[in-house]
Amino acid sequence: MSDVALGSHVGGHRLTVSRRWRRAGLVVAGWVAFLGFWTFASHNLVNPFILPTPATVAEEMADIVTSGELFEHFQWSLMKTLAGFALAVAIGLPIGFLMGRSRWWRAFFHMPVTVAGNIPGITYAVMALVIFGIALEGPILAVALISMPYIAINVAAGLDGIDRGLEKMSHVFRRSGRQIARHVLVPTVIPFVFAGVRLSFALAWKVEAITEVFGSSNGVGYMIRQSYDRFSVAGILAWMFFFVFFILLMERFVLQPAEKRLFRWRPKEATA
Amino acid sequence: MTTHVVAPRTWPLRFAASDAGAQTASVLVGLVLWQLLGMGVERIPVPSEVLSFFWEELTSGVLFAAFYNTLDGFTIGLAIALVVGIALGIAIGLSDLVRAFCNDIVLVGLAVPGVIWALLAILWYGFSWKAPVAAVALTATPFIAVNVAQGVKATSRDLIRMSRSFGVPMHKRIRHLVLPSVMDYVFAGFRFAVIMGWNAVLLAEWFGGRDGVGYQTRTFYDSNDFTGFVSWVVFFIVFIVLLDRLVLERVARRTFRWRAQPAEGGGH
Amino acid sequence: MATLTIENLTKVFPPTAKNRPPVRAITDLSLELSGHVFVSVVGPSGCGKSTLLNILSGVEPPTSGSISVTKDNRPARLGYVFQDARLLPWRTVMDNMLYVQDGQRERAREIARRYLTMVGLDEVHDSYPGQLSGGMQQRAGIARAFSVDPDLLLMDEPFSHLDAITARSLREQLQTLWEDSGKTVLFVTHDIMEAVQLSDRIVVLSHGGRIHADIAIDLPRPRKASDPEVAGVQAEILGRFESMEHDAAVA
Repeated sequence: MSDVALGSHVGGHRLTVSRRWRRAGLVVAGWVAFLGFWTFASHNLVNPFILPTPATVAEEMADIVTSGELFEHFQWSLMKTLAGFALAVAIGLPIGFLMGRSRWWRAFFHMPVTVAGNIPGITYAVMALVIFGIALEGPILAVALISMPYIAINVAAGLDGIDRGLEKMSHVFRRSGRQIARHVLVPTVIPFVFAGVRLSFALAWKVEAITEVFGSSNGVGYMIRQSYDRFSVAGILAWMFFFVFFILLMERFVLQPAEKRLFRWRPKEATA
Repeated sequence: MTTHVVAPRTWPLRFAASDAGAQTASVLVGLVLWQLLGMGVERIPVPSEVLSFFWEELTSGVLFAAFYNTLDGFTIGLAIALVVGIALGIAIGLSDLVRAFCNDIVLVGLAVPGVIWALLAILWYGFSWKAPVAAVALTATPFIAVNVAQGVKATSRDLIRMSRSFGVPMHKRIRHLVLPSVMDYVFAGFRFAVIMGWNAVLLAEWFGGRDGVGYQTRTFYDSNDFTGFVSWVVFFIVFIVLLDRLVLERVARRTFRWRAQPAEGGGH
Repeated sequence: MATLTIENLTKVFPPTAKNRPPVRAITDLSLELSGHVFVSVVGPSGCGKSTLLNILSGVEPPTSGSISVTKDNRPARLGYVFQDARLLPWRTVMDNMLYVQDGQRERAREIARRYLTMVGLDEVHDSYPGQLSGGMQQRAGIARAFSVDPDLLLMDEPFSHLDAITARSLREQLQTLWEDSGKTVLFVTHDIMEAVQLSDRIVVLSHGGRIHADIAIDLPRPRKASDPEVAGVQAEILGRFESMEHDAAVA
């Protein structure tokens, strides 16, 4: 949008369209250049064991898809991540509620919540390994612990806001506690829970993968560990690309549309 | 917001009801839970065991040596991340061409978990000192680049508008406007870079087996010495929490003070 | 129609900080009103108008004194219009209307629709408050308050956040609604002109929540803001108001 403002207005519409094509062209060119450089480096700069060619990695990726491994292991990882999120909401909601309503509880939970959010992922991974071995509970708990702070803090922030005036209005109109909870509190909190989930999604996914790398018998992290144990750089790169694509896809096609729908009552603000 | 509570008379009750009291209660509850967990689960040591282990490692000099080794690689990796990140960020922020080229790659870099960089770094550099450095650099650079790019983009938009309406010499504006605001974005990205980088260096040491905190942790785990293992985990958690609280939070607050100005669609 | 009786009402708030005196929001206030009347309470900021409404609506307890809001010897039903509409932003206008209704769904919908039509909002009943202008939101708030068929309607500076044109139009709508509904209205405002145009009676509060004056307004209805008679009374009241301020400043 700012491009149009900075550019000239002559043949305005045509200019934006051609600009968009130009930009798309540049992005494609960027990827081509990147792949080209990669291939060059793989052939000439380092030995192909250290850096396999894009073609090798692509082959590996195709293998993973066709053998069904992609589907199987992503399913495991996704399932654990979702379970972890559910647990994070179950823990984070009441904590956030307490933090939002009471100053004392806010001070009480401030430290555990910030620490939990800042603990390096490796900590969760090794502790899960120690306590749970390679069982499912490890990654699930790790996701829960790292996402919980985001949810708790967001819920507390949500309760901080709109609340008072609407509560007072509800009291004046003699609404019961149940009605207030259903029509004021819950709708206030749900979008914030969602924001917490959205913020922490990528992070949770990463922690989940790390935990699986250390101790698991299935999942994306497990497959990455397998590749590492076999000294397969191509394998690691292949799973890495799938991993990243998945996060980006989730962002684009699940989280953003869901956010739009959840917040459709918001007045449209002019974007800067 | 608060319910109307009558202030307690006696000072111990007043302390308990205050913020400081709540934080103390939090720490105490945490310690108690830890104690219970340690007594219940065999593999987990109780706080007192960890404390005495800490004293041992401290006095024998092992603690200091390990942290020194880790921080060595950590800071070098961070320095690389800063240099490359700032350069990349400025380039992306200033030039649409560079942005179109590099943006996706930087996003991919952001999304890749540190563990993958650590594993790749070890496969590439083996068990040398380069592996942890590479892991840190690869993990942290995208965070800095993205923040700097954002900063430069926002500032140059303001800059163009402002210099157009005032005709002020560009070099003055750069010194007083662009540079300070870019530094603020660098600080914001730096905080993430430190936390993610710390994670990466520990991972690289865990798998890469040279020396340092991650290596110590691994050694104790391998020999099934869980007191030692958990103690070292506690050490590095405490370290990063202290670092974050005492250093980075101050820095972040400085950044947020600037950000508190609502951005009304650009310059004002 | 309700009967409102306030006797020797006093409200004192605890001090805001150490070494500060407690805040006397209302001092020994006595007031009586009943029937199909429109009563305004005016005064400068900090004179306790909002506190009075808070106490009447049950949100704040009085420090001393008594309040009785009854209709036919049972507690009266209250309606309230806020300065800032206070609609649930995540519910449609219709759902906001239904929120304050009890009883059977279909009947509630009917009632809601009727009042929305009265304020001219029936077409946007499916919209969210965020999609409406300030004036429309306020109209919805008024419709909502009327729709619960209150015995006493409390209004807290409902037009003070609106632009002059919208406010003028809403004042006319309010007058019509009030006349048709036969309700008792207690209307708080800082705007004397508005009070004269709308009310049968103006209660003037001074700092500390004391009644400074109780003025009957005997002008025929409907009153337009442009009527010379209205303007005359406004000027007179304004004069009395200014002398009150002068006295307070000199004292």
